[in-house]
Amino acid sequence: MIKNYIKIAWRNLLKRKVFASINIMGLAIGFGSSILIYLFLSYHLSFDTFHPNADRIYRAVTEEHRDEVEYDASVPPAFSNTFKEEYDFAEKTAKIVYQSGFVIDVQNNGKQQKYKHDVAFAQEDFFQIFNFPLTNGSNAIEIEAPNTAVVTESMAKTIYGTSDVVGKTFVLENDKTIQITGVLKDLPRASFLETEIFISFENLPDFFEFASGDSWNGITSNLECYTLLRPNQDVASIEATLLELPKKHRPTSKNKHVYKLQPLNDVHFNPNYGGLNPVFLWVFAIIGLFLIAIASINFINISTAQAFYRSKEIGIRKVLGSFKTHLFWQFLSETFVISLFAVMLGFVFAVVFLPAFNNLFEIELALTDLLNVKFFLFLFATLLLVAFFSGSYPGILMSRIVPVLALKGKLGHNDTGGQTTRKVLVVVQFTISIVLIVASIIISKQISYAVNSDLGFDKESIVMVEIPDDIEPFKLEGLQERLTSISGVQNVSACLSSPGGAINNWGTGLKFNNSPENEEFNVQAKIGDINYLETFDIPLVAGRNFFKSDSIREVLVNEKLVEKLGINSPKAILGKNLESTGAGFKARIVGVVKNFHDRNFTQGINPAFIVANTDWYGEIALKINGQNIKNTLDQIDAVWSGTFKNHIYEYQFLDERVAEQYETEQRYLSLSKIFAALAIFIGCLGLYGLILFFVGQRKKEIGIRKVLGSSIGDVLALFSIDFLKLVVIAGFIATPLAWYVMNEWLQGYAYKTQIHWWYFAIAVFAIMFITLATISYQTIRVATNSPVKSLRTE
Amino acid sequence: MITIKNLKKSFRTEEVETLAINNVNLTVEEGEFVAIMGPSGCGKSTLLNIIGMLDNPTEGSYNFASHEVAGLKESQRTQLRKGNLGFVFQSFNLIDELTVYENVELPLIYLKMGKAERKQKVMAVLERMKIAHREKHFPQQLSGGQQQRVAISRAVVTNPKLILADEPTGNLDSKNGIEVMNLLTELNQEGTTIVMVTHSDRDSHYAHRVINLFDGQIVTESKNREIGAMV
Repeated sequence: MIKNYIKIAWRNLLKRKVFASINIMGLAIGFGSSILIYLFLSYHLSFDTFHPNADRIYRAVTEEHRDEVEYDASVPPAFSNTFKEEYDFAEKTAKIVYQSGFVIDVQNNGKQQKYKHDVAFAQEDFFQIFNFPLTNGSNAIEIEAPNTAVVTESMAKTIYGTSDVVGKTFVLENDKTIQITGVLKDLPRASFLETEIFISFENLPDFFEFASGDSWNGITSNLECYTLLRPNQDVASIEATLLELPKKHRPTSKNKHVYKLQPLNDVHFNPNYGGLNPVFLWVFAIIGLFLIAIASINFINISTAQAFYRSKEIGIRKVLGSFKTHLFWQFLSETFVISLFAVMLGFVFAVVFLPAFNNLFEIELALTDLLNVKFFLFLFATLLLVAFFSGSYPGILMSRIVPVLALKGKLGHNDTGGQTTRKVLVVVQFTISIVLIVASIIISKQISYAVNSDLGFDKESIVMVEIPDDIEPFKLEGLQERLTSISGVQNVSACLSSPGGAINNWGTGLKFNNSPENEEFNVQAKIGDINYLETFDIPLVAGRNFFKSDSIREVLVNEKLVEKLGINSPKAILGKNLESTGAGFKARIVGVVKNFHDRNFTQGINPAFIVANTDWYGEIALKINGQNIKNTLDQIDAVWSGTFKNHIYEYQFLDERVAEQYETEQRYLSLSKIFAALAIFIGCLGLYGLILFFVGQRKKEIGIRKVLGSSIGDVLALFSIDFLKLVVIAGFIATPLAWYVMNEWLQGYAYKTQIHWWYFAIAVFAIMFITLATISYQTIRVATNSPVKSLRTE
Repeated sequence: MITIKNLKKSFRTEEVETLAINNVNLTVEEGEFVAIMGPSGCGKSTLLNIIGMLDNPTEGSYNFASHEVAGLKESQRTQLRKGNLGFVFQSFNLIDELTVYENVELPLIYLKMGKAERKQKVMAVLERMKIAHREKHFPQQLSGGQQQRVAISRAVVTNPKLILADEPTGNLDSKNGIEVMNLLTELNQEGTTIVMVTHSDRDSHYAHRVINLFDGQIVTESKNREIGAMV
């Protein structure tokens, strides 16, 4: 019986090639997208699942309660030792401190080579908590002693050209000679750990004293503390116990710390602590479902429309003894055969588009990731589900056909049923397409709003160049003078980082107007020299810029800080004292600057102050003119490299850095554009199929109408009006839906673009236009045929 | 074999109710060849459909081989029809996507017969109908007469007790028509009961008995000479 079903399915497929192609193509796009989405989701869901004790591994994190709650994926440096020594909750606890862009000096075959790589200073126990083994499979990592390190196999090959590097040395930051004691297997892609050079924690004091110390007075996001709890621990009660730590160690602080233990499987998915927003994955999965649904709808629509042509066969089968269930399963088998072809083609699509997909998300998914039972189960389940979803409704309709009417040829097109369902399904397709178009428009508007709005500082033609931490003030001054003398450079400012899109953020508490108490809120410390305001074009609203000085005597604040302190006018704050406990200064406020967006548009503007301090400069900002940029950049490179012979020159344009803050949004945009295009394309395929069918069905009518004097436009209208009505209905459904979804999305932004009514109008008109274009080809073809020919075809 | 008592069938549209069969009483004995005649719209096909269990009567009783059929559900009718009844249509009603062999094989598949047995039965009937050489052809590749022979093959392959023929020569030229009628007669002589709807006086002469319908009622019933001689 099944053989018979499949045989007839295959012959039907060959007989109605165009419809079969439309169905297969649509479903293949759906399956192809699903395969890529499966790869993407399984990649994210597999993060750090390879550690044998993953369920007992936690990261210690901090909730900082001031006037608002902030989340920090770190703890004060002292936390780790206290947790280890004063409690017995954990088997192991270890700190790791990440540092970016360290200079690695290697002597290789008598040749000296310099590299710039991110490094991590890790306690040895870190490698006992996790499963990052050496190439020989053992966990016996030895970096307890100072000046020792382990590197991954790939990193060894990058810097030494071989993985046989145990015993070899390199010089770190032109200072410490470090010996390699082991080579780690390359880290799995799906892991929180990305650094490839791990240096003994004992070396950290030379580079980052605060992080290596035992302080409770602050947090650096470079530090992470992981712990392997003993079995059967109650995390809630541990966290309750930890509430005593801030009371004991930070009794007077206005910044109330609450220490929490974040499960390892939450690290990748908790946006509060820098993880991926799981909503992103949900959106992905839902869009995958949408695409498959749209393709299945095509299938249902075309099949139900064609039921008439198959009614004779069904009638005969019934007369010959076929039960309804036979017919239902027969149709389902046909759907299965078509879906099987679609899966195969979809797989080809997935293979072809995987590189572009990887490129878009900056990941390295491989098809080999699919070679597992889980994937094949997923694929088979999807295939069955799609075949069932697409095939069952047409199957039911066809099995209901009355054989007597079918065999007598008395069955009308309307007797096979499904017209209303077909209309509803077409409306669903249009609705999805309109929602996706509106989403694309609003996301792109929000990005352009965020990138092109006035940020309160100038980001155009500003080059940011890193400078070594240990630069002496006189050397820095000399460098600034040489850079200023370059003809294309208009301004030079040494600073900790840029006002917005900063690579270094520093939040600290403050005391105002000689008050003994810290204020309730946190304030951003912006460190920059006297050229800071001019270089970044930050206007003053009151007072003046600070004067050059060897110590911090004067400070600038922004309007937000004035507002937070409850002072009515910027002028009123001038002359008052500001003391920062974290930054260690007390200075007079001499100016108030206009607010600038120190964070991206998801967050509001922070209160901030600007002071000059040579010790904290990490970058130089250069405002250049737009002419002969390459030459200017080359000259900056030459001056910089001449000054820092042992370092590697790198630069970045500030506008690019600001745009990087919206990478997630850019991805959402690319996604919504791609999926909107796919949804529209699949929808058009279905529409084309339906029109092909309707035109075929009404050829005689068109002929008669033409004989009676109807124009091509009349014929086009005859077919279009019904569809255009459906687009309008879809528009009414899609508008509130898209408005709700996108308005919710925009709620994630402190500064957001407005949603205009014409975004929806554009989407509806776009779909109308596409619909007309799809319908026109077939309709005009038939309408321009000789009516004699049309009449003869019946 | 068939006993029909006070059978009525009405069709209701939005405004009118049409009585297609009005109080028909009919008995068909096993081995009989009965022709139903009458003008278009008199209800002959409706009666044939009810006898063929493709349709249910509105009123009355229909007994087939000691089974009351009136009021059975569709699935029950299908079950009773399978293997007991064979159909021959004016427009042949072969499935275009299946070959000659596969068309004839189809009722046996629905009877869940094994492959080897199916093959043996299909080939035997195709040989008998002198169409075996066309077994791999599709219906569109055959002449009308050949298509009707395939349809008859399909009707008899299950060895049914009753063959229902609806204008079996209606789409054929006279030569092919005569051939088809000879085939039906041959089957009848071997014991198969045949009920045939026809417009053709010539075809009606092959039957033992002719029933004339008018406006849904049996108006005359006559026996042909041959049957008279047999009786």
